[in-house]
Formats: sequence, C-alpha cells, structure tokens
Amino acid sequence: MGYASKSPWVIHYDGSSCNGCDIEVLAALCPGFDAERFGVINTGNPKHADIFLVTGSVNERNIDVVKEIYDQMVEPKVVIACGICACTGGIFHDCYNVIGGVDKAIPVDVYAPGCAVRPEAIIDAVVQGIGILEKKAEALNASRKGA
Amino acid sequence: MELVGFLIVFPLVIAVILSFVRSDTARTYLVIIPAVIIAAASIALYVIYGSQGSTYFTFSSTIVDIVCIIVSIAIGAIILVYGFRYKRILPIVLGAVQLIGSLIFDFAFGHGIDVSRSLYVDGLSLLMVLIIGIVGSGICVYALGYMQDFQAHEPNDAPDRRPIFFALMFLFLSAMYIIVLSDNMTWMFAGWEITTLCSFLLIGYTKTEEAIDNAFRQINMNLLGGIAFLVALYVCAIGFETLSFKDFLEIGSSRPNLVIMPVIALSIAGITKAAQMPFHTWLLGAMVAPTPTSALLHSSTMVKAGVFLLVKLAPIFVVCPIASTLVVLVGGLTFMLCSFMAISQTNAKRVLAYSTIANLGLITACAGVGTPEAVWAAMLLILFHAIAKSLLFLCVGTAEHHIGSRDIEDMDQLFQRMPKLSRFMMLGIMCMFIAPFGMLIAKWGALVALIDMHQAVLLILLAFGSAATFMFWAKWLGKLAGIAGTQENIEGSVFVSEWVSIGLMAVLIALCCLCLPLISIYMVDPYIVSSYAYAGISDGMVSSAFDGTIDVDDLWLASIACVFAFIVMFAGLGRTKSRQVGVYLAGISADNANRVFRDSLSGETIATARNWYMTEAFNEDRLSWLGTVVCIILEAAFFIVGCVTLGIF
Amino acid sequence: MSIVYALIGTLVFAILGPVIGCLLSGLDRKISARMQGRVGPPLLQPYYDVRKLLGKERVSVNTAESAYVIAALVFALLAGGIFFSGGNLLMCVFVITLSSLFFIVAAYSSRSPYAEIGAHRETLQVMSYEPMIILMTVVFYQASGSFDVSNLFNIPIPIIGCTWLAFIGLLFVLTIKLRKSPFDLSMSHHAHQEIVRGMTTEMSGPTLAKIEIMHWCETVLFLGWVGMFFIWLNPLSLVLAIVVAVLVYFLEIWIDNNFARTKWQALLGSAWFIALVCGGLNVIVLMFV
Repeated sequence: MGYASKSPWVIHYDGSSCNGCDIEVLAALCPGFDAERFGVINTGNPKHADIFLVTGSVNERNIDVVKEIYDQMVEPKVVIACGICACTGGIFHDCYNVIGGVDKAIPVDVYAPGCAVRPEAIIDAVVQGIGILEKKAEALNASRKGA
Repeated sequence: MELVGFLIVFPLVIAVILSFVRSDTARTYLVIIPAVIIAAASIALYVIYGSQGSTYFTFSSTIVDIVCIIVSIAIGAIILVYGFRYKRILPIVLGAVQLIGSLIFDFAFGHGIDVSRSLYVDGLSLLMVLIIGIVGSGICVYALGYMQDFQAHEPNDAPDRRPIFFALMFLFLSAMYIIVLSDNMTWMFAGWEITTLCSFLLIGYTKTEEAIDNAFRQINMNLLGGIAFLVALYVCAIGFETLSFKDFLEIGSSRPNLVIMPVIALSIAGITKAAQMPFHTWLLGAMVAPTPTSALLHSSTMVKAGVFLLVKLAPIFVVCPIASTLVVLVGGLTFMLCSFMAISQTNAKRVLAYSTIANLGLITACAGVGTPEAVWAAMLLILFHAIAKSLLFLCVGTAEHHIGSRDIEDMDQLFQRMPKLSRFMMLGIMCMFIAPFGMLIAKWGALVALIDMHQAVLLILLAFGSAATFMFWAKWLGKLAGIAGTQENIEGSVFVSEWVSIGLMAVLIALCCLCLPLISIYMVDPYIVSSYAYAGISDGMVSSAFDGTIDVDDLWLASIACVFAFIVMFAGLGRTKSRQVGVYLAGISADNANRVFRDSLSGETIATARNWYMTEAFNEDRLSWLGTVVCIILEAAFFIVGCVTLGIF
Repeated sequence: MSIVYALIGTLVFAILGPVIGCLLSGLDRKISARMQGRVGPPLLQPYYDVRKLLGKERVSVNTAESAYVIAALVFALLAGGIFFSGGNLLMCVFVITLSSLFFIVAAYSSRSPYAEIGAHRETLQVMSYEPMIILMTVVFYQASGSFDVSNLFNIPIPIIGCTWLAFIGLLFVLTIKLRKSPFDLSMSHHAHQEIVRGMTTEMSGPTLAKIEIMHWCETVLFLGWVGMFFIWLNPLSLVLAIVVAVLVYFLEIWIDNNFARTKWQALLGSAWFIALVCGGLNVIVLMFV
C-alpha cells in the first residue's frame, strides 16, 4: 500500500440535485463516522484534494464549474459520482437544462448509485476510489521514473 | 590633510560650474566624472586614515573664518529675501534672529577664540565621508536620468532649472563634508546652515504652492534648530572659551554638569535636523521634491547630519543623564509612533519618509544612551539605513516614472512589469527590517545596549515599534512579489545612469551585509575605542561591549544567511520545472491571470485585494498629534531645565 | 565555534525536528479526535499526508513560489539549529521571523485572492506576537545573563522563578505562533472555519509538504522555547523541560478545541495588551527590583 491510499483528502461539490445526496455525503464525513480514522479530510480546496465527490447532475450552468474544479485538482486524482443523479442525471435526466451525469463533464472513476446514496455506498465507493487512486499514483511514479 | 580640503572644496567648485552649464551632454560629464572623483577621494581618505583612530590636523585660517561669517550672513540674507518675497512672517523673524545672533557672536565672542586644529578625521567622520562620497554621489549620477524624465513630464513652457538643481546637489555634498570633517564649531555651524538652505531650495524646486509651503515649513523648523546650535556656540564661547568640538567633548565628559545647557541645545539642533518629533513634518513635506532630492535628504545628507551630531555627543550623554533622557525619550517615541503611522500609508514615498524618521529615532535613542554598544548600533544603523534607503528611493523614483504612480497598491505585480527593479526594491525592503540583514543586526546591538543601561521604557517602545515595522514593510514586499499571468515588461526605457546608481546601491548593500563582521571590526570598533578613550571610560568597558553581546560568530552566521537569501532572490526565483496553473477563484475563471471570475449572475467580477492599512487602529492624525504634543513638552521642559542648570553650575 | 555548532545543529535538527514534530502533530490530531469523542487517525497520519503530498504532481501558480517556500523551510531549520545547539536566542527569533516572512511572500506571490487574505492576516499575526517575543528574549537575557541558550546549563536555579510573567505571555502568543484557534486567522488546520485554505490555498503537492514539515519544525522550536524556562545546572532538568513542553502542548490543543476564531482587532489588542503587561512588567521588575 502506498501513501496515496492512506491520506485521501476529499473535496465535495453539489450539482443540480435535491440536496439529499449532498446531505448524505456530508453526514458520512461527520465526526460520527470519524472518517479521519482513515486519513480522510474534507478540504475546501481542489488544489489539496485527491478525491472529488460530486453529487447531483451536471447542467448548463454548472458544467464549467465541475470542469474547473477537476482541472485544478492535482494528479493523481479520482472522481466519485455519488447518487443516481450524479451517475446518470437520475430523476432530472430530461429536465430542459440538465446535461446528464457527471461523466458528461469529466471522467468518472467510481459510480455510487442510490437515491439518496446510502452511507455504506459512499464508503464502499471511497474505498474503491482509494484503490484507483493508488494505481494512478503508481502510474505517475512510474512515468516519472521512466522520464 | 590636502585630501580633506579637496573633499570640501572640489564639490563646491563643481557646484559653481554646474550652475552655469545648460547643455545636457556637458552636464552628464560634469556630474559623472566629479562623482567618481569624489567617491575615489573618499575611499582614499579612508584607506589613508582608516587604521589610525582619530587624526587632528593643525590647520586654522582666518580666511576660512571670514568666509564662514560671510556664508552665515549670506544665508540669513537669502532667507530674509525669500521670506519677504513670499510674505512669510515666521522665517523672517527666525532668519533675522539667527542673522543678528550670528553677527553678534562672530564679532563679539567668536573671533577671539582660535581653534588650532580645525580639521580632523576619525572613524565616525570617515564612515560619514564614505556614505556621502559613495551614496551621495551615486544619487547625483542617478539624478541625471531622472531629471531628464522629470523635465519631460513638465509643461513645455516650464523653465529648465536643472543647472541650479545639480549645483545644489553638489553644494550639499560639500556642506556635509564641512560638517563631518571640521572640529571648529563655527565651521560646522556654517555647513549646518548651508544644508538647511540647500534643502529649502531643493524642496521648493518645483515652485508649486505645496512645494513652497513645505519648503518654508522645513526652513522654519531648521532655523529653530540652527538657533539652538547658536545658543550652544554662545555657551561654549563664553563659558569654556573654546570652539573646538573635541575640547567641548573632553570638558563635557569630565564635568557633565557644566555642559547640560549646550548639550541640550545641540541635541535639539540635532533633533530638528534628524526630523524627530515634533519636527518630523518637514521631512514628510520634503517629499514634494524630485526623488533624487528625497534620496539625498533621507540617506546620506541632511538628516544624517543631525544624527551625526548626536552620535558625536554620545560620550557626554553617557555621563549626563538629563540630556540623555531627553534624547532617548524623543528618539524612542519617534521610532514607535512613526512606525505605527507608516502602517496607514499607501503612498510609497510617505512610507519611506516615516520609516526614515523612525530609524533616525532609533539612531537618536542609541546616541542618547551613549554607551559603546549603543554607539556601535547607531553607527551601523547609519550605514545600513543610508544605503538601503537610497536604494529604495531610487527604485521608487524610477518605478514612479514608469508606472505613473507612487502608490503601493499600484505596484501590484511589479515583479513582472519591472523584474530587475522590483528585485532591487525587495532587496532594499528586506534590508530595512529583517535579520540577517544589517539593519536588524544593528537593532540587536541597540537592544543589548538598552538592557544594559536599564532603559525599560525605550525597550518596550522598541519592541512595539519593531513589530509595526514588520507589518508595513512585509505588506509592501508582498505587493511587489505578486505574480500573475504575463505582464508586459516596461523596464526597457530606464536610463543607464539610473541602473548604474541603483546597481551600485544594491552591490553596496550586499557587500555590507556580507562583510558586516569586518565592518564591525575594522570600521566601527576602532572609533568607539578611540572616542571613549579620553572620555574617562575604561578600556574594559569598551572591549566588553563586543564580547558578551554580539559574538562575531553570530555576525558570520548572519552573513551566511544573507548569502542564502540573496541566492533565493536573484537566482532561485523564476526557475521551476513544475507545471504552471491558474489560481483558484472558487468558480469559473473568466480571465484567471487578472482574477476575473464568472459570478452567480453570469456576469464577470474581478476579485480585488488591497493591503491592510488599518487607519482606524493606527490613525495618522491622532498619533502625530500625540507625538507632537508629548515631544514639544519634553523638549521645552528639558531646555528650561538646561537653562536653570546654567544658573546653578 | 558557535557557528560550527549552529550549522551542525541545523543538520541534526533537519532530521530530528521533523520526526519529533510529525509525532507531535499526530498526537495533536489523535487528542483532538478523542476530545471530540472520535477514535482519530493513526499517530503517523501526518507522515502519511506528507508522503502522499510529495508523490503528487508538481504544480504551481508561478515560478517563484516554490523558491520562497524552500527559503522559509531552510530558515526554519536554521532557527531550530541555532536554538538547539545552544546558540543565540535572539538570532533564533530573528531567523524564524525571516522564515515567516518568506512564507508570507510566497502566499502573496501567488496573487490568489484567498492566499492574499491569508497573507494579510499572517502579517498581522506576526505584528501581534512580535513584541511579546522580543520582550521574552529580553527577559531571558536579564534572567540568565546571556542570550546564549547553552548558558542555561550554568545557572543554579531555573529562570522561571523570576520570569513566570513573561512565560504566561509566551503561552498566550504561542497560540498565535502555532496557528491554533482562536488565533488561526491566516490559515486553519480545520477546514470548517477557513476561507478556502488561507495562505496555503495555492500551494499543492510537494510545496504543501514543505509547509507541513516547516510547521512541524516550528512546533518543536516553540516548545523548546517553552522548555528553556525550566532548565538549570541539573541535567535532569531536561526531563522537567520536556514534561512542561508536553503539558503546554496539551494545553494548546485544549484551547484549539474549545475556542472559535476571533476577529483581528481582538487578536491584536489582546496580544499587545499581554505583551505590555506580562512582557513589559517583567522587564521592568527584573531591571529595577
């Protein structure tokens, strides 16, 4: 296990949603679940974050925001779509302004469905995300050594 | 000795020639070549006499005495003429008092007293000679390019008065040499008055209403100082029948009770010239002058004459608690209050002015404490302040001509617009307030001296003042350091003469910081040993000043840290292999380099950030009023005490 | 010789400082978690964080920032080296201030609105604690007779007896220096009360790692300042000093967890008031009594 997996710092963004998933994500990060046990820290700053938790769907207004946050995150980074809206657009998929899931804007690594997404699903997704993060970190390291 | 005479006369001759030269090319040569000669002669003087402690030259001349009388009459007359022309009562009154006073003095008391050894050099005067010769003439060279720009910014029909400007600059240098090299107090006084007049004319150079007002404020205050000086001359001539400064110091340090009055009078003269509260406003007003004038006034001349006099009096202060208390309190209060006031300033030149006054306050306080450690600190402060401040003024002057503003907020991103200049400016700023650069090491010496002399009040003033110093310099430094996007480099049109002078100051700063231990050992220590030798202070006390307090090893450690800082500043910045990205604007960047983001209404908003000026907490008017009132009371009270002591002893 | 000691000390501190600081930081997070009824991260969590940051891509907003940060780190190490090699306390204070200055300039240089706000506040914080720190060194000099820290091992009784007032002042400004709530205006360790991330907003990956290491070293150095008040002839006093330093660190954590961030006016006012009362009074007492 590398160090990337021991200190996953997350940033969280809520797109167009009913806010249910948003609340679930924040609740999962609350002291009650003590995510810090695993080194998880909720940062407000994309430049410090490793994992991008997005809830809600992408629409015409927020697509640029999602892209910009993603672009400002530093490699290696992982995107987790939390909730069905983030995965596919969910119940809002045919709204006039909704483009669809987060993967319409940025590459998504893990999909965590649910309406609202359950804490178990979030934690499961983060654990999967950590695995991917680890692989990406190794790949980055290898490319650096190769270069 | 010929060299001493040369240093005094040569700038004078050049000044006369320059006042007639109207051609730019001729002026260029007539400034650069003499400037180099003056600098070389100053260095030569140091090389010859630097190792000898103090040397007094047997020289007295009735011709010079008569010239001095003529000079003081001429100065008085010129002031009266200006006073009448602009209808100012106060300068007329003060000028008349001084004119009559010096006439009576010269004919009734002064002429009978012969000073056999009128010229001298010692460590302190050599230090001043080097500062005047190198920094001062460097500023003259800088003025060549600057004044060309300045003239270009003037309206077309404005008369070209640059000949008189350059003449005054060189006259200033000459007057400074007179002050620092003559032991005859009447000659010193003549030099003293010439600097007053020169700065009056230089401040009023632009002849705008503001300039004339400020010039008159300067002359009012400095005439007061001049009258105080004259009072001291009277007391010396009548009471001790000597006009030799050396004799005066010897009398003073052996029988301090006798000299309380003249020392207080001379202190007040020094305090006015060094722009201490309540006289600080003249230096602030002097900012209206072209920048080379400010640089000259602030760094190597004028105000340095004030602290020079005070430092020379240090051996008396150490045994004369009354005078010492006055100088220490005024200096300490000025240091703290002016540092506070500098926080609330956005105008770069005003910040520089307040910081000058504050630092002079520290030097004044150190001189007032008067122990060898304190004088050690004062001398190093004089040196580092002269170089760093002239560097800063020259940089601000050049920046002003290229960005069209002297507001610190407008210097945002100067790091890219004028990369070389901003680095020099950052160097100057760092030298002003942070260890391991010279200024703060000197402050350290001051701290030690204050503890040993049980100056608790001054220590507390120093602690709070230093903290404020950090604030106002650091935020300016930060403004300069900002980097975003690609800005156009506008440095191309800076004159070569400006680069040469700025480069010279930067090199001097670097050298002085790196060689601080050597300067301490070879320039400052010998003076202190020699000047306290006759003052009845044992060698043990002098040598102990450098054993326990500041270890030479610590000075070398500071030098090493300086080297590292220089490398970071001039070689480290701008080199990186990392990928460049935009800043985080909490949303969608519209124009990231200029901090423009798309707001919630789909409009575009610029994120702006201004520095903190905290005008509520550090209100300039309130603090200035406080300092003025307290210092006036102090100075008046001590002057009266001095007069009383004259009666008692 | 002191220069050689200082440089060797710096090298040793460059290794030991981060190690101890990292453990202290881990302890901080562990204790904070327990105070909030959580289990908390492993003790080595700060180490994991830094290792992760070092492995991230090198990204910066300009070409100067990383040089400033390196300078800040090096000067922090030098300050620690000077102190723990028994060097001059005042020099140590000056060098650590230089380190803060480079950190401030690094934040300014990014020209990010958030980092700039952090830099303004950090400048204010330095101004707030500086008088107390200067007066503390003065008191130290008066009580021990020298600025040299090594001289403490020559004095018969610890200086705390006559410097307890300044010690209280130091404890007060220590909260500012360690950037603990309520005085964590420039950048907080806790995301919940910060505008983005204060000074470090634009610092990422290896640059942020250097900042973290710098904080560890600073923590060790400042606790060293706390400990030095309890040192005297007896070598066992070192143990006492360490115990006191640990207790003080615990106190700081407790304060951090119990107070919300304050306004800058309160910070400046209270810090200067404490400096004037605790520092100033102690200086006067030692000078004249």
